[in-house]
Amino acid sequence: MIKFIWKRILISIPVLLGVILITFIMLNVVPGDPIALMMREHIKPDVVARVRAQMHLDDPAYIRFFRYVWDAMHGDFGTSYKLMRPVSELLYKAFPNTLVLTLSAAFVAWIVGIPAGILSAVKKYSFIDNFFMGFALMGVSMPVFWAGLLMQYIFSLKLGWLPVSGFNGWKYVIMPAIVLGWSSAGIVARLTRSSLLEVMRNDYIRTARAKGLQEIFVLFGHALKNSLLPVVTVMAIQVATLLSGAVITESIFGVPGIGRITVSAIQSRDMPLLQGAVVFTTFLVIIGNIIADVLYSYLDPRIKYN
Amino acid sequence: MYKKHLLLVLAVIFAFSFIFTGCSNKAEEAGNQAANPDMMLKVALIVEPPTADVQLTTEEYGIPLNCFDRLVEAETIEPGKSDLVPGLAEKWDISADGLVYTFHLRKGVKFHNGEEFKADDVLYTFDRMLDPATKALNTDFLDMIAGAKDRMDGKADSVSGLKVIDDYTIEITLEKPFAPFLANIATPAGSIYNRKATTAAGTDFGLKPELTIGTGPFVFKSWTLNDQMLIVSNKDYFKGAPKLEGVIFKIVPDPETQRMQFETGELDVFDCDNARSQIPYFEGSEKWKAHIVSGPRVGLHYYCINESIKPLDDVRVRKALQMAIDRETLLEKLFYGKGIIANGIMPIGLVGHNPGLEKISYDPVKAKALLAEAGYPDGFSMVISQITDRPASLKMNEAIQSMLAEVGIKLEIQQMDSASWFATRLEGKLPSYYSDWSADFNDPDNFMYTFFYANNSVARSFNYNNQEVSDKLVSARAMTVPEERYKLYQELERQIVLEDAAWIPLFSLDHLFVVQPKVKNFQVSWNGWSNMPYKGITIEP
Repeated sequence: MIKFIWKRILISIPVLLGVILITFIMLNVVPGDPIALMMREHIKPDVVARVRAQMHLDDPAYIRFFRYVWDAMHGDFGTSYKLMRPVSELLYKAFPNTLVLTLSAAFVAWIVGIPAGILSAVKKYSFIDNFFMGFALMGVSMPVFWAGLLMQYIFSLKLGWLPVSGFNGWKYVIMPAIVLGWSSAGIVARLTRSSLLEVMRNDYIRTARAKGLQEIFVLFGHALKNSLLPVVTVMAIQVATLLSGAVITESIFGVPGIGRITVSAIQSRDMPLLQGAVVFTTFLVIIGNIIADVLYSYLDPRIKYN
Repeated sequence: MYKKHLLLVLAVIFAFSFIFTGCSNKAEEAGNQAANPDMMLKVALIVEPPTADVQLTTEEYGIPLNCFDRLVEAETIEPGKSDLVPGLAEKWDISADGLVYTFHLRKGVKFHNGEEFKADDVLYTFDRMLDPATKALNTDFLDMIAGAKDRMDGKADSVSGLKVIDDYTIEITLEKPFAPFLANIATPAGSIYNRKATTAAGTDFGLKPELTIGTGPFVFKSWTLNDQMLIVSNKDYFKGAPKLEGVIFKIVPDPETQRMQFETGELDVFDCDNARSQIPYFEGSEKWKAHIVSGPRVGLHYYCINESIKPLDDVRVRKALQMAIDRETLLEKLFYGKGIIANGIMPIGLVGHNPGLEKISYDPVKAKALLAEAGYPDGFSMVISQITDRPASLKMNEAIQSMLAEVGIKLEIQQMDSASWFATRLEGKLPSYYSDWSADFNDPDNFMYTFFYANNSVARSFNYNNQEVSDKLVSARAMTVPEERYKLYQELERQIVLEDAAWIPLFSLDHLFVVQPKVKNFQVSWNGWSNMPYKGITIEP
């Protein structure tokens, strides 16, 4: 298993380099000058030229690329043009906010999605099944920004229960977590249902029932663990994706997380910050995938990685 | 077993992340509790400043204007009028040739870290701006000092024109006489830092409040990114402590949220520049109309015409454009009449402003005739560019679109993101556009040279290729008799606006603020900036 993990980590290195290269090329192709953007109305061509040279922005692209990779390998991800702080510090500050939001959303997704999926599977084609599947469909298909604004309107402006936006304590987490968790809950519920229904048709379930086991034990003792296999994989990847920044949710609810940083870095052509954010989120997605693989083999002993 | 471990790990991560966010809140609350929050002024900023170091930013001066002092200060004596008064320098002498400035510094002034302010701090600060290692953006406020160019180019380790005579006297020698020098160093860019504290802070200066040391009336206390900044009263301020306990700058990018927060008392000041459409509401409101504070602005709105794009290279076409725009209607309909029509480049309130400059009249018939004469009897098509997500600019451009349509000009409004917009403009390739400019310092140079010096004219996409005008703008900087200087500027202004029609002046708008009834002595800065010194304001709960 350890060997497998190492192998996966090694494979991820070219992936990271590729991602850096693609972002680098894209940012070099689109028009935009970070110094012009910093000086805005107070533009002075000679100052722009001097500062560009001082920041080595005039060097050939391949030199800038290799310099970036070299520095990054030494832990230096550069300094943000716009926020003037080290990229690593900005990411370090933003990450806990995104982490809290993601884990809260995942929590919502699990505690709503899995029971809903189980109930739907057990009572298939009943009213409960239709209700939960309708609920899941809504979660999956409702745009996050719309659900977010709707919740702000109801719970902040009309009822005054929760703050509109910001991120200064548990009250601020509730709405974004529900908005974000709802769509995941929908996926989890549908996946749990279909997977459980499939498992229930297996021979070992029939055996369990034949030996006189109560249905509840059949369900929780034999069926559930096996039916959760695909759910775990999907959730691990989803958590990793959410960690890379729920851009829209973070913007609507004013959460100072990775997603907002990434968007503002794109808008201000803040190359070091954007590169840092992209490398960081790529890394998270890779780790998420490895965790999913490991969990998979733990849950299903038939799968062995060599 | 594994499952338990997994849950444990997840629980620990979860708990830690709550502690992370929890800790930062507690630190911030502690900062806020240092002073009575009722005696703090709460204002909003649309954009988070990148830094409080004025050498590294050209736009966001909220903190610097309040936490630092300058040798000379531009003080608002009445709305729209300013005077240069002693700041950290008690008095100064200027040599007869206009080259040597000797500043006699105030004694006993303390920095926020307790260090005494001395001439060496001035030398350090100005040298730091010009040091290539600083990568400063505001160098043009000091690059007229002798030896500045060599320092900026890395050919010298010090600036030859900066000389400490003794602890309380510094002599600054200029390369050539530079009439607006005092006005230049009275801008935020002339803020004085402490050598010891700033050297120790390194790149954290301006970013970490506790390391950002000045002599100003307020002390930079805390900065929570994406949330707020706090400055508190400097009880030992040499001109007397401010009456306010402090100022909280909240970062609120959405103007509508700002308005809601102002109405619920979460903000003390609402800056109408951020949402001009709210002006009629506040003026019609019984509750607020008595609490609107307005002041003129030494600045103006204008249209840039890119002369390198055909047929805008033809002066008759440009004159037709000037005449086809009904500025009075625009001012009345889009800005509720809150301002005054501008006819030139130097706005009212600026020294050298020419009140007698001929008015450009709205005359679509004559405009059409001029177009026909230029060979465009059926008009032509042109592009106006603007930054996306700027509803106020779009409204303006749409109004212009319909006005120009009347003389046969088909206007296409092109929207692009700000990064592309500024980069294209720097290359001189941006199609014509609508913008505005307010004075950094009270001198014609800040308008005329900024827009029409050859390089600047390209970098702003005017492409007004008039070398003679450009040369005269350079020589005007060195003229020492003010009356002669202003006369030259007025001649150049007449040539650029009326003869060459290289500039479409629109209007100077008033700057309106709405303040909570408890806020007293609120005054709009002489130049009408949103960033202002808060020292004189009081709160009467």
